[in-house]
Amino acid sequence: MTRSHILFLNLTGIALFLCLWEIAGRAMGPSLLAAPTVVVPEYIRLLMAGDMLRELAGSLRQMLVGFGLACIIGMPLGALMGRIRTIDLLVHPWVSMIVVTSAAALAPIFILMFGTGFEFRVAIVFVSSFGYVTLTAYHGARGIDPKMLDVGNAFSTGPVETYSKIILPALFPYLITGARLGLIHAIRAMVMAEMFVLVGYGGLIFQTGQDLSTAPLISYLVTLMAVSVGANMALGWAGRQIAPWYDSKMAAG
Amino acid sequence: MATKLSLNHLNKSFGRGKTPPIEVVRDFSLEIRDLEFLAVIGPSGCGKSTLLRLIDGLIPADSGSIEMDGRDISDKVGGEGRGMVFQSFDLFPWRTTQANVEFGLEAKGVPKAERAPIAKKYIDLVGLTGFEDSYPHELSGGMQQRAGFARALAIHPEILLMDEPFGALDVQTRDILQNELLDIWQKEQKTVLFVTHSIEEAIYLADRIAVITPRPARVDRIIDVPFERPRREEIKSRPEFLEMRQEIWSILKEGVTV
Repeated sequence: MTRSHILFLNLTGIALFLCLWEIAGRAMGPSLLAAPTVVVPEYIRLLMAGDMLRELAGSLRQMLVGFGLACIIGMPLGALMGRIRTIDLLVHPWVSMIVVTSAAALAPIFILMFGTGFEFRVAIVFVSSFGYVTLTAYHGARGIDPKMLDVGNAFSTGPVETYSKIILPALFPYLITGARLGLIHAIRAMVMAEMFVLVGYGGLIFQTGQDLSTAPLISYLVTLMAVSVGANMALGWAGRQIAPWYDSKMAAG
Repeated sequence: MATKLSLNHLNKSFGRGKTPPIEVVRDFSLEIRDLEFLAVIGPSGCGKSTLLRLIDGLIPADSGSIEMDGRDISDKVGGEGRGMVFQSFDLFPWRTTQANVEFGLEAKGVPKAERAPIAKKYIDLVGLTGFEDSYPHELSGGMQQRAGFARALAIHPEILLMDEPFGALDVQTRDILQNELLDIWQKEQKTVLFVTHSIEEAIYLADRIAVITPRPARVDRIIDVPFERPRREEIKSRPEFLEMRQEIWSILKEGVTV
């Protein structure tokens, strides 16, 4: 299938969805489901007013702190778990538990521990993304081709060089993939945490849910989706810029 | 002729949990002469790759010793005059041709300014001029193996260890690279230990052929290859060539279990 063919089908899918949405929106009315023709002017109004983007930017900044911590701790930890069995056995159960536990279920206890401010939101975002970042790095480290390490040995590289010149670059595609997964979960967790304590973008969404029209609510959701998709694409792009072999490596395995 | 590398009574077995260990190499001795091209041939699974890994120090021998020019290198891992060319090329996908060829030099601590011209020289020698900045996934299998040669040659090894380097390539590429290897070998004056399972390849390339019978690996006999150098394709159809191929096949056949 050619590029234009794919693009055409993609756009047709979106157009069909918008048509169905318009029909459903007109049938149910704006208090239940605002139709696209109602949402678009509302969306432009909110964009001009500036509150939506200001709140979102503020929330994303806090989210990035939690997500950054998850990467800083999770990536080296995952790499060590993958290479050193003792560490794996020590921490794997905990990492697995964090991954399967819903962050929403942890919210009440985190509110008790951290209050409702900055620390609480960072903590929720951290636990939501940490497991994905760590486990992806872990699988990457476990899957490092022993032949690559053989090459290092054959040219008698020391342990530090083996780590920096073979293990880290071999891990790179996995670190990027882990970051992409983690970031999506971090953004989700951000909104969820803010809905608990009614601040930031999540608070905005929650409060708008009480309004008579669903148009503003849908506008907020559209922006959030766009940001998530954009962030994910940006990380993928960054991966390809830093490592031109990234795509070929991921395609190969 | 002087002995370059001598393998003395090497033994290696691999443990398999509770079952008795498999003896892959038993009391293996072989002398490789200075500047000769020695082919080691045996059926697949006979332990010849293990043997090469022992010689390169990638795995330790259970007992026995390896000497190069009379000095004991049994415990030395990699390097130390040995350059390895791998069957599956094993270039680093995150490095360009240039950087892959420089890898061994980096490990030896050669300064950056000196690495580049050395790497370039060997990239040119193996015919990869113009592909210095390509990544392995942009190269064909034959070109990747050329880079693999260049990487091994760049560290100025006294002996080149080659583990079925053409095994993963198509026949045409294999034939071309065989001839280029012979050219490079003559230009660079290296001792080569070449592991293969192709009888024809062994006869075409080598001065001597060590025929290995399997499990545990041992040298059945050493055959001198009489053909003059430089060799050209036409010797492959000479009666002596075919006769020798038949002779080696009949030795190997006894050890082959399919």
